[in-house]
Amino acid sequence: MGHTVGMAGGVAALCVLPFLAGNAYLEHLLALWMLYALLALSLNIVIGYLGELTFGHAAFVGVGAYTSALLSTQLGLPPLLGLPLAAVAAALFGLVIGYAALRVVGPQFTILTLGFGSILYTITNNWVDLTRGPMGISDIPPMAIGPMTFTSARETYFLILALVLAVGFLCHALVNSRTGRAFLAVRENAPLAASLGINVFHTKLLGFVVATAIAGLGGAIYAHYIKVITPDIMGVQNVAALIIVVIIGGRGTIVGPILGALVYIGLLEALRVAGPLRMVIFAALLTGTVVFLPGGLVSLWQRWRTTHKADNNLPAGNGVPSAEGGAE
Amino acid sequence: MNGTSMNATSMNGAEILAVQGLTRIFGGLTAVRDVDMTVRTGEVVGLIGPNGAGKTTLFNMLGGSMPPSSGTIRFDGTDCTGAPPHVMGQRGVSRTFQITSLFPSLTVLDNVRSAAYRTTTAGWGAAILRTAAFRRQEAELKRKALDLLAFCDLEDRADTLADALSYGEQRRLEIAIALAAEPRLLLLDEPAAGMNPEEGQRLVEMIRRIRERGVTVLLVEHHMRIVASVCDRLVVLDHGVKIAEGPPAQVLNDPEVIRVYLGREPVDA
Repeated sequence: MGHTVGMAGGVAALCVLPFLAGNAYLEHLLALWMLYALLALSLNIVIGYLGELTFGHAAFVGVGAYTSALLSTQLGLPPLLGLPLAAVAAALFGLVIGYAALRVVGPQFTILTLGFGSILYTITNNWVDLTRGPMGISDIPPMAIGPMTFTSARETYFLILALVLAVGFLCHALVNSRTGRAFLAVRENAPLAASLGINVFHTKLLGFVVATAIAGLGGAIYAHYIKVITPDIMGVQNVAALIIVVIIGGRGTIVGPILGALVYIGLLEALRVAGPLRMVIFAALLTGTVVFLPGGLVSLWQRWRTTHKADNNLPAGNGVPSAEGGAE
Repeated sequence: MNGTSMNATSMNGAEILAVQGLTRIFGGLTAVRDVDMTVRTGEVVGLIGPNGAGKTTLFNMLGGSMPPSSGTIRFDGTDCTGAPPHVMGQRGVSRTFQITSLFPSLTVLDNVRSAAYRTTTAGWGAAILRTAAFRRQEAELKRKALDLLAFCDLEDRADTLADALSYGEQRRLEIAIALAAEPRLLLLDEPAAGMNPEEGQRLVEMIRRIRERGVTVLLVEHHMRIVASVCDRLVVLDHGVKIAEGPPAQVLNDPEVIRVYLGREPVDA
């Protein structure tokens, strides 16, 4: 019950937030927060639930962004149609790359995804006839659903917020289903999972393809919001940013990536006063988080709840859920 | 389905596992050589032999995690030679591992629920739509999982992380995990390793109750007292070759078996 109330309160707060922002710049930051939250939620499926580290995620964001941008600028396709096609295109790339890379696990898989990501970046950067190379694509039309257009930061914020809530719900349903329990079993102990009849490769491929589809969706939304994209969207900085967001917030949870995105966007802005030292301080804070809070920010709440429980009640079981807290 | 529990105590159940000429070669070493053996429905069969006799290699081949170099494995009348582990798991062969193997950062209840993969059908799509079938399945799954935890004396640990259990509890959870898949054949790899005599006795009781549930058991074990008190039949391996087979009383008095265990000649005590 407390879970549901907390959820409703959180969603209400997210809906009111842009009206409190007061200026367009803050609203832009809020929209970016939601975008990063969406992308981090998708990456969390691979890092948090499947337990594999991928360095290729930004490439799929790029595939989605370029697909929808090219379809709307070259063929005049409405962005609303481009959105699902961007997800499909990213998922197809995810299927092919996942099929090849998921044959190996651990660091080898990570290196393979880094390689595939670099290949996609290089192709995008050099195929000037199609992608205009480093000049990028500009004048991308805004997202529109019927008469509604999403040009302002506030409108875009609500559009992405809806997607974040939808994907959050998908993840919640996942971890509370047979499919998601198979994901966690594979993460925890692949040989044991296989002995119980779980096809480890197919399970991982499913998670990887879904994650890349959502990444493509996020990329397309970004393209129609910012209106200009360059191959940098697939760059290593973006890969690192998304991994940082997931790990700082708390991998394997739903609130974690959303919280991590807020900290990432918020901290980068707050540290602007530090001038050139900004990235140094930021890096130090990140390192500190990883060292002292390996479970991410959400583990603070879990830790508090555990001690709180222990103080009030009889010695209760260890109340740290590794997946999303199970609301029955 | 109905037949298995009726056959549980019968020695003459149908052949559930038939192994013929099974061989596994690692480079120049033949770990398992030309082994024939059968297991009948409802039996508890012990696989014994000194260290390095090839017991775990044989187990790995039966569980699908290691393809045989030659020979055939038939499970329930179907040729399963070289089938990967998840296929053996799907067909109803569950196993435990020599080194403690569970899902460490999941709760005890979720360990068992994850392990019941084979027994459920409604997945992610059904969970998104919250279909009636999904809700029924999940309620049933939780009930079954709690029953199984009670069966393994773990019901008061349901919300504990598997990582935080004591060693004895972890070994019992491993059995609960294997049983959650509702196997037809359960392969137990040294379940008593590291247990004290009292825990060993509890294990014997548990294996008897597993058999009463209609599950056929193949057991690798070093503790002769456990093997002798729980097994209907023993198969003895030495240097990868089957050297004896039969009821425990007969096999454990076989001079050849005593020789491989104690070295050299049988001793008149």
